[in-house]
Amino acid sequence: MPEPLLGAHGVTIRFGGLVALQEVDLEVAPSGITGLIGPNGAGKTTLFNVITGLLRPDAGTVRYDEQDIMTWSPNRRGRAGIARTFQRLDLFVGMSVRDNLRAAWESNIPGGVFGRRSAEGVALVDSVIERLGLAEIADRRAGALSTGQGRMVELGRALCTRPRLLLLDEPSSGLDATETNHFRDLLLEVVSTPAHGRSTPPAVLLVEHDVHLVMEVCDQITVLEFGQQIACGTPQEVRNDPAVVAAYLGESSGAA
Amino acid sequence: MLTYIVLGLVAGASYALASVGIVLTYRTTGVFNFALGGQAMFLAYVFWQLRDQWGLSQWIALPLLLLVVAPLLGLVLERLFRTMASRSADVQLVVAVGILAFFTSLVPIIFGTDQHQLPTIFPPDKSFSVTGTFITADETGTVILALAAGAVLWALLSRTRFGTATKAVVDNRDLSGLIGINANQVGQAAWIISTMFAAVAGVLLSTENNLVTYVLPFLVIYSFAPAILARLNSLPIAYAASFALGVIMNIPQKYNLTDFTAKLVPQIPNILLFVLLIVQGRRLVELRSSVRTITGAHVVGNNTRRSAVTGIAAAIIGAVAIPLLFGESTVHNIAQAMAYAVVALTVVVLTGWTGQVSLAQMSFAGIGAFTAAHVAGTHGALFPLAILDGVLIAVPFSLVVGYLSLRLSGLFFALATLAFALLMDGLYFSQNSITGGSTGLNLTAAKIGPLSFDSPTSQFYLCGTVLVLAGLGALWLRQGPIGRRLQMVRDAPEAASTLGANLTFTTIAVFAACTAVASIGGALLAVTQSTVDPSNFASSTSLALLLAVVLGGRSLISGAVFAGGVQLIQLLPLSATVHRYLPLGVALSVMMVAQEPDGLPRVSLQQLNYCKEILYRRKLRDWMQLRTSSTRTEAAAGTRA
Repeated sequence: MPEPLLGAHGVTIRFGGLVALQEVDLEVAPSGITGLIGPNGAGKTTLFNVITGLLRPDAGTVRYDEQDIMTWSPNRRGRAGIARTFQRLDLFVGMSVRDNLRAAWESNIPGGVFGRRSAEGVALVDSVIERLGLAEIADRRAGALSTGQGRMVELGRALCTRPRLLLLDEPSSGLDATETNHFRDLLLEVVSTPAHGRSTPPAVLLVEHDVHLVMEVCDQITVLEFGQQIACGTPQEVRNDPAVVAAYLGESSGAA
Repeated sequence: MLTYIVLGLVAGASYALASVGIVLTYRTTGVFNFALGGQAMFLAYVFWQLRDQWGLSQWIALPLLLLVVAPLLGLVLERLFRTMASRSADVQLVVAVGILAFFTSLVPIIFGTDQHQLPTIFPPDKSFSVTGTFITADETGTVILALAAGAVLWALLSRTRFGTATKAVVDNRDLSGLIGINANQVGQAAWIISTMFAAVAGVLLSTENNLVTYVLPFLVIYSFAPAILARLNSLPIAYAASFALGVIMNIPQKYNLTDFTAKLVPQIPNILLFVLLIVQGRRLVELRSSVRTITGAHVVGNNTRRSAVTGIAAAIIGAVAIPLLFGESTVHNIAQAMAYAVVALTVVVLTGWTGQVSLAQMSFAGIGAFTAAHVAGTHGALFPLAILDGVLIAVPFSLVVGYLSLRLSGLFFALATLAFALLMDGLYFSQNSITGGSTGLNLTAAKIGPLSFDSPTSQFYLCGTVLVLAGLGALWLRQGPIGRRLQMVRDAPEAASTLGANLTFTTIAVFAACTAVASIGGALLAVTQSTVDPSNFASSTSLALLLAVVLGGRSLISGAVFAGGVQLIQLLPLSATVHRYLPLGVALSVMMVAQEPDGLPRVSLQQLNYCKEILYRRKLRDWMQLRTSSTRTEAAAGTRA
């Protein structure tokens, strides 16, 4: 296996008496989709917050691109190519969809806020709007969107930073079956197409409730339960892991 | 030494009562009661009216005050803030500042503007000696009263069901409802107790310092530091810290103080407040932190071109018409109001666009004013250079304040800027070397090349040009990347930072830019004033400015112009009634529109349109005789009843 793009080791975090994460290890390969699954409250979003720098862990290290990024601020991590979406939509609700995407691009470009290189930004935003099929809602206010549309805008916003590592937090929750299928195709397209000006497509770390989707698209899967890692491997290995079957898939494992 | 300790304990007693009042309502309802000083003052005046004016016995007046007037006031305030429960810190802050302004403008209307003495509530002329130091009954009584009130409250909170219910509400307001605790009742009780404490503090402070409208609210601000030290949570710490503060402030009186140290001592609480906010900032959890800033406030996406065209058109018409229509003194007042509007514009950008309530904008303007007056007025330098000097002095101040306090969340940032403004009042604007002493400074000799700004018309064009340029500049910034960045900070700061936006840099840069503009506005104000008066830049003027901008619409550039208009009414030689009732009117209307980022003018317009629409519909209905629909409505109303 090549050197992972992202490696979290021994990440531990406590909120008061509650141990949200206990010595969790996670590796994300430089390409393809890595899945992170686990029941509600297993600590998936907390791990995302640690990786993006919104939360400081009590112990453990996070390495990205062969560098220790523990002391980095969230925005420095963002500029280094880590982008994420949020489980609870966190859009810039007062702006149009197009402005959401532009703002994301501007945030990630040195001097972007001074309007330099804005032509380049407009081109990138237009290409993302086209890729994700957001043309119809591009001028609507982000606060007035449905959940499904909002998730697409969050994905688009993350793509506008031209990420090397894309963290998706339950991107399919709140989507119906058709939308989920559409999303799956989109996801596979994202991990196979390099972003504008990059030579390699982004690696994806996917937190997802929809086990079908995860098993279908992921190359590697890590399973968390109560803040601890209980399994790690290919979809096939995870599916057959007795601990996972007991803890996560439960009795419905036959169906899955 | 003992004398000073006793004096300190007496002063501390009032701070203790006030700080407990603040902590109590904050813990139970999440409201930082900025207006406690206003309540305390109002209630002290009520007591004076009852006892000293109407001649009621103290044994009737005091219970009447504490058991009837104070609880009623507490209930009204609780009700007012309950409607704000789901609103963000900036709305609550604005409402609280509005209430403070309401009381400070109401009291002179009801009770007159004369200063009164409030005799002590304890037996006068009685004293006893402890190791050679005379201690009066008044002093003993004050300290014992404060301690007793604290003990009763402690017993109430730790030994009764009410205490348990309070704890539950403090822990989790929503969950406490599930186990049958009425959080609203707990909130009401907290507000009642807090107002009673405010009443006692107000009476005690007034017996020590006389009844003066503009002193008492600021004395109560002294109790903010102990409350913050207690992290707005621990009542015993707030109590102990208040007494300690009183003693610390009084011990230096024992020694011969130099001019500067004499000014420094009253500032100890403000210095402490600022330092404590910075040090404890991250550990101070805002109880309403989960609540987002006001929805509907958009920075980006407003119709920029139309605003710009309207603004320029209005400016051209004004430039031609105003000097023709009005006399010299009015033109002069309009010039001054426009300079004020330039400062107001920075409040729009900070409060309306980034959601950071700064209570120090007039202080920054003051730095600009006095620097420009020194450089251009006294030393005769070119006016643009003088303005630049003002900016160069004000901006470093803002960088320090901004760097230290912009990490604080909304409420605590506002408190830090208030502490800064109070320090500027007490330590900067009070220096004769800065304000020019009794002769004052003036900038009437300001010149740009052949242009001199000694006539009202020239001042009018100068201030007007700067206002239009600043307004257009703000519009231009808003519709570009910087506007988007500000909206990001408001809407979703976490998402913005993960995308790579450096929010600390953004907020500090905006704060510094606003300071620069405020100091330019201050220099313009100085040009329009024959003598630059420090009281025009006092911390209270920053509060008034905030209210005027909120009323005019804090997210709109026209809100700043509106604030200028309010200032103009105060400058014009209108009847005394207008001048007395205007601040009251502003305070009352602010409470109504505090949640509306577009302010009073636009909200009234919407209401008007709504009324028109209803009238129109009714006409239409009568015309079409759609009786079925009205029958249906009645039936629906019947079922509901």
